[in-house]
Amino acid sequence: MADARRLLPVFAIVGTCLLHGVAIAAGPEAAVAAREIDQKLVAETGVAADKLAPRTDDETYLRRVFLDLLGETPTPDDVLAFAFMSEETKRAEIVDQLLDDKAFGENWARYWRDVILYRRSEDRALLVSNSLVESMTKKLNENKPWSDVATDFITATGDVRENGDTAIIMAQAGMPEDVTAEVSRIFLGIQIQCAQCHDHPTDRWKRQQFHELAAFFPRIAVRQDRDSQPPTFLVTVNDSPFQFRRQANVNNRFRGTPEHFMPNLEDPTDAGTQMQPVFFISGDKLAKGTTDADRREALAAWISSPNNPWFATAFVNRVWSELVGEGFYEPIDDLGPDRECSASETVDYLAKSFTETGYDVKWLYRTILATEAYQRESRARRDYEELPFQANCAQRLRADQLFDSLVSALDLGDRMSEQGPARGPYMQRFSPRAVFNAAFGYDPSQPREEVGSSIQQALAIMNAPFINQSINARRSDGLGAILRDNPDDEDALTELYLKTLSRSPSKYEIQTCVSYIGDVRDRNEAFEDILWSLINSTEFLHRK
Amino acid sequence: MTHSLHHQVDVSIDRHRGMRRRDFLRSVSLAGAAAGTLSWPDLMALEAAELRERGMACILLWMQGGPSQFETFSPKPGHDNGGETKAISTSVPGIEIAHNLPKTATAMDEICLIRSMNSREGSHPRATYLMHTGYLPTASIKHPTIGSNVVHQLADRSFDLPSFVRIGNGRNGTGAGLLGVEYDPFVMTDPTRQPDNTELMTDERRYRRRVGLLDKLEQEYANSGGEQEVNNQRKLYEKASKLVLSPKMNAFDIERESTAVREAYGKSSFGAGCLLARRLVETGVTFVEVSLGNWDNHQNVFEDAAALCQQMDQPYAALLKDLRERGMLDNTLVVWAGEFGRTPTINARGGRDHYPRAFNVALAGGGVKGGQVIGSTDAGGTSVEDRPVGVSDLLRTVCHSLKIDADHEHMSSVGRPIKIVDGGEVISEVFA
Repeated sequence: MADARRLLPVFAIVGTCLLHGVAIAAGPEAAVAAREIDQKLVAETGVAADKLAPRTDDETYLRRVFLDLLGETPTPDDVLAFAFMSEETKRAEIVDQLLDDKAFGENWARYWRDVILYRRSEDRALLVSNSLVESMTKKLNENKPWSDVATDFITATGDVRENGDTAIIMAQAGMPEDVTAEVSRIFLGIQIQCAQCHDHPTDRWKRQQFHELAAFFPRIAVRQDRDSQPPTFLVTVNDSPFQFRRQANVNNRFRGTPEHFMPNLEDPTDAGTQMQPVFFISGDKLAKGTTDADRREALAAWISSPNNPWFATAFVNRVWSELVGEGFYEPIDDLGPDRECSASETVDYLAKSFTETGYDVKWLYRTILATEAYQRESRARRDYEELPFQANCAQRLRADQLFDSLVSALDLGDRMSEQGPARGPYMQRFSPRAVFNAAFGYDPSQPREEVGSSIQQALAIMNAPFINQSINARRSDGLGAILRDNPDDEDALTELYLKTLSRSPSKYEIQTCVSYIGDVRDRNEAFEDILWSLINSTEFLHRK
Repeated sequence: MTHSLHHQVDVSIDRHRGMRRRDFLRSVSLAGAAAGTLSWPDLMALEAAELRERGMACILLWMQGGPSQFETFSPKPGHDNGGETKAISTSVPGIEIAHNLPKTATAMDEICLIRSMNSREGSHPRATYLMHTGYLPTASIKHPTIGSNVVHQLADRSFDLPSFVRIGNGRNGTGAGLLGVEYDPFVMTDPTRQPDNTELMTDERRYRRRVGLLDKLEQEYANSGGEQEVNNQRKLYEKASKLVLSPKMNAFDIERESTAVREAYGKSSFGAGCLLARRLVETGVTFVEVSLGNWDNHQNVFEDAAALCQQMDQPYAALLKDLRERGMLDNTLVVWAGEFGRTPTINARGGRDHYPRAFNVALAGGGVKGGQVIGSTDAGGTSVEDRPVGVSDLLRTVCHSLKIDADHEHMSSVGRPIKIVDGGEVISEVFA
């Protein structure tokens, strides 16, 4: 569908309308929208032209765009090829190429896996991880509209090992209140769960509105299926009118219940107030007694409706923040109401245009990547009193990006199988990537300045036996091959920098390394130390 | 004073007190700081220093899976629910525990046994989270585990070794949460080996040379706008280097103990973990969690719980005795707990299922008055009859023993203050 739409826009749009019954307007072209955004940003923030960071150089840009879109670093060949592309069009062309690469979907699927599973309240939810990445990869590569993706998550049922769409429900063990909170946070950017127990102190949301939203989810539950081999969990639906009695004093929940009750805070033994499903943004409501399928489908349609600006804003704010380094709203999943926005006209324009495209996800990436705001050099995260969006901002690599960077810097391709030892359903956690993710991962919704590094992470790259084996100069590939193919030290250094940092070394770096090689007097040993330093460097661990 | 001022600025803007840089700038005027009116954070820094001097520590013996109270500390030999487990007398007249714990029985005078713990959580992950954090899991807030809270309040940040060490394979989803990764447990699966990645892969001379080269090569990145990240990274590498090169790393090597001491703790892996916990606390580590798994005895509870008791009994008693003899017990709270208890009725497979309504926790050291029992259940052990103790009461009591303010508030990322312990009351009779 994605390719067809680019080639035959008219037919594709007609086809989409017929299939989904969604009114799709084309929206502005990416390049046009990007220009508009840059103009609006400068006008709105009032940053003087001479304060803006200059356009970043090609090597930095290339590594940035590879990491942002594919989660990988460009190889020395990629760097070379980019240097030969036409100056005028190369940046737009590389973006088009990378958006068509399979790795684009996989990289962002893993991002969404982290968004959902870092908030899990049930550790066994990790079982949904593989199916989630698989289905999300497919959707992103096929450029499924974001409204369809959201609908799939909200309406999912079935086996979590087979249906990745169950991830949000599985992550919250099917608890209606927690699923409600996550659906609102992820798709609306609204932290309505703060109103779960009391009217929100600073927001306008009321406790009743939270529980009316939870009333879309009472009939679902997550149940362990011990009969299947390997064991799994199912998202089940209970539309039977029969009211299962809640087991006294125990909070376990194995079956859905017909309706949602708002607890009586004064008296925990009281059944509470039965709630009608009402969507707090639009006021749309359903009758009590509505089936589960009708409830969740209606909610998905209301959430992703073009009339609901929160839906598009939440998505564009998140993607913009990941690419430019700073969101219009921060934290990126807390849009308000009554939150400070650093450029409200710009984000409104971007969200409105994204809505007009029919929630075309690749359009959004293409647009943001075409802006000057994205292509500026990176500077340190601004202080609060400085004006926003003067520069891009360096980001610590996510665990998957770091893993893939190490695999490519150290030629580990064949050694790093994605499969865990095949012993039982949870063993996937012990695949090299999963182990690495457990050590280096972080919740991508957390403000990036709050994401810290632990000593155990530092030790893993500094001292892990497998890393030290991999930097060995006597290997037939990796560093060994570089040293064999490049008898000249400066050539070898250039090759090594290209392979690890996707750029050539500076004069200072060549001098420093050459003098180090001279001091050590053992070529192999010196180069091992240089490679060790490069993979332990701040630059390697960040996307600049 | 210079030091404490430096520390306090570090604390406030480096988010170590759960506060974001921007919030800090919003709420505190920098002009005010320059004029010396920083009473609030200054007070915090002084308080932390004072608390550190007290040198309190805690060892949590975590019984993953939910140990049966009937087969450990609350046998019911006269009742159908008691099954084949017998009661034995202990060093304290009038207190009887299960025959599976003969060594523990001799240390009863150090132990304050709570027989009236209760909660509503009967699923492993939720109950484990509750017992460790005092809260139920939610998507929006990741509550700090008790170990992270304790080191956040008590530990000296300049200490060479990690302040919170978790030993053993027990699956446990809790960590520092909103406090940030530097308060996460330092996890080691095997107490008989050095922790992962702490052994140098080269000789020390070459290691130092490498770090020197790394430092020089960082310059280019620092100069091109990355100074802040480079500085953070440098701090981290200094800390990691300090750790791997520290002579205190010997604390991780239990082989250095005499044969007599090693034998006293027994041969089980849990025994090695307890011995390691004592060595770490002795060296200055603030919180050590040692786990022993497989207490989820849905079948053959009498056989299986007895086998687990055998792994646990001797090390537990040895730990209390050892800490006492070394003069460390008064400053070290030892908590024995699991996520819930097991059903009074014995199921068709000879096992017991999950039962949060009445279970046991044992406390010792840290000012706890040993040789006493708090609370009781009815004859069949089905419900708490006297002095019910909730999870918040327990955690508040732990804080009290360690001299931590349980009402201390962290700020969650959505701006909601989270107390270390919400509600509950200190169980005052635990203390002398």
